[in-house]
Amino acid sequence: MNVATLTRQNPTVTPAVTPAVPHPADAPPLSKRVRASPRWLLQRLALGLTLLFLVLPVAFLLATSFKSRDEVLSGYFFPLAPTWLNWRTLLSVAPLHLNLLNSLLVALLALFITLAIAVPAVYAVVKLRHGQRLAGWLLSSYLSPPVVALLPLFFVWRQAGLTNSTFGLALVDGLSNVPVAFWLLRGFFKQVPLALDEAAWLEGVGPWKTLWRVNLPLIWPGLTATAIICLILSYNEFLFASVLNSRPDLRTITVAISLFEGERVVNFGQMAAASLLGIAPVYALALWFQKHLIGGLGAAATLEHTRRQP
Amino acid sequence: MTQIQISGLSKAYGPQPVLHDIDLRIEPGEFVALVGPSGCGKSTLLRSIAGLEQTDRGSIHFGTREVTHLPAQAREVAMVFQSYALYPHMTVYDNLAFGPRQRKEPEAQVRQRIDKAARTLHLGDYLLRYPRQLSGGQRQRVAMGRALVREPRAFLFDEPLSNLDAQLRVQMRAEIRLLQRELGTTTVYVTHDQEEAMTMADRVVVLRGGRIEQVGAPLTLYDAPANEFVARFVGSPPMNLLRARLQPGRLQLGPDLHVPLPAVGPGLADDGRWLNLGVRPEHFTLASDAADGADASLPSLPLRVQGIDHLGSQTELHGQVLGAHDEHRILVRLPGRLSVAVGDVVPLSWAPRLQHLFDLDSGVALSVPRAA
Repeated sequence: MNVATLTRQNPTVTPAVTPAVPHPADAPPLSKRVRASPRWLLQRLALGLTLLFLVLPVAFLLATSFKSRDEVLSGYFFPLAPTWLNWRTLLSVAPLHLNLLNSLLVALLALFITLAIAVPAVYAVVKLRHGQRLAGWLLSSYLSPPVVALLPLFFVWRQAGLTNSTFGLALVDGLSNVPVAFWLLRGFFKQVPLALDEAAWLEGVGPWKTLWRVNLPLIWPGLTATAIICLILSYNEFLFASVLNSRPDLRTITVAISLFEGERVVNFGQMAAASLLGIAPVYALALWFQKHLIGGLGAAATLEHTRRQP
Repeated sequence: MTQIQISGLSKAYGPQPVLHDIDLRIEPGEFVALVGPSGCGKSTLLRSIAGLEQTDRGSIHFGTREVTHLPAQAREVAMVFQSYALYPHMTVYDNLAFGPRQRKEPEAQVRQRIDKAARTLHLGDYLLRYPRQLSGGQRQRVAMGRALVREPRAFLFDEPLSNLDAQLRVQMRAEIRLLQRELGTTTVYVTHDQEEAMTMADRVVVLRGGRIEQVGAPLTLYDAPANEFVARFVGSPPMNLLRARLQPGRLQLGPDLHVPLPAVGPGLADDGRWLNLGVRPEHFTLASDAADGADASLPSLPLRVQGIDHLGSQTELHGQVLGAHDEHRILVRLPGRLSVAVGDVVPLSWAPRLQHLFDLDSGVALSVPRAA
């Protein structure tokens, strides 16, 4: 069970942090003197340790996925006799491709729900100056552990016929990600000067169109970053998925991995292979959008600042 | 051409009042400047007219139509912002076309109006550029172009020139004024620069602490300020004030220092009350310049010169009036060049009709006959 716990938590942390490691091409060429300085050494050491911390679980998974059942118990890090067996038999043991598809479907649907609520809400709070207290309330709701909401949610969802439903799970994920999206987007919207909105309103353009035509084009990188984070959060979600959707054909990948069983006994090698398969889409997404993620979260302050007189 | 009528308008941010019972009528086609120190409420008043601020009490009418509770997008006014507020992701052309397109106006008509505005503002060469590729002055023109294309009921300007350098500012002042005359559109112009207000506006509204101190034509404010605040705010450098005591036929400025007071207006008894005597720096003359220099009906004060600034066409003297109750410095601006040295004592004079008297406590101007 330990390995499963690791894989569940790992992707949440890793994609957001991995891009922070500077790309070699971005770094200015260093002279020999600078390279040898203690400061440089210390920096490299810190970077190396961080990288090790992040990479170790994945490396362990990779190594384990090539070990035979007996070798897993031997305790060596590297497989002594690497085998493809775990990977070859993976899909015959569990319908992982189906679980992956379920996860993606839930994550995309949840993202749609999150943005449909969070984007207009942020615009109303930041630009129309309505419901200022909403920000605080949203945050407080996010601070409590999700397990608190589990029981009431389960009963309400069962009553409404939303258990064992892709949409039902997406609704929970989508709603629970609204505070995250709200707080991320709030910063981006605040960078768009209010005067731009006011100029649009005075031209006879209503708030919806102003949001769509003036604000969204300007916060596009931030919106993309927010969307990726929400996607990953939903994709990695385990608690609600395990309780609300118990039907095997609706299982998401996180639940499938946690329930992973071999033919007779737990096969850790196969579990490791399945875990790697599960985190692959998230890693790919984070890598693909690396630029957007950094650019968006790094808060491009390229907009002209505007001053408002009291 | 729209008349703007503001009646009893009040607004407070929490316990802090920003606008206090404002009554103001702006005539159709008129150019009115709102001026005052920062925090006086001038921008809030402008934004209330635009519909960008909610007000607590009072009403705003455009012509006969009440707009007090109308949202900004329904008021059909155009505003030029201090920051220009150009959409950074659109070209100049798209910036100008954004409003009309969103209002679903026919493209051909939009193009025609943009062409006309671009010609008026010399923007023809920049239509395909982005705002970040333009200089401050060009951005300012685009912001004005956007207002022109709108064909609004009124132009609202919120310190539009304060981000430009001094030379461009003076040039744009004249252009805006000329444009407004040609179009005849009612205009409200906010500025903290009294000179800008004086040179551009038909009428100037001086605000302080959310209240209107005085409304009038630029020269009226200069010649007949209603109170000490307006007297010192309008005109540059500001008017000098000297504490004085009213006595029969004269003002006592110090134990042994008197100036004649030709005639006292009604309501101003010779009762020995204290007041402030105001004389603008440019209204002083050297007593020796006056014929004979012995005219007893003209006031004369000895000024100890503490500083001299040569401006070329003018000379500014800083100094103290010897023997006065007041010890603070006064500023004198005299035409031409003077051969005066620091430490000299020069006799100052002025035409009594150009002096102002203000109540010491309230600062209200006291009526004085203005006969020459």
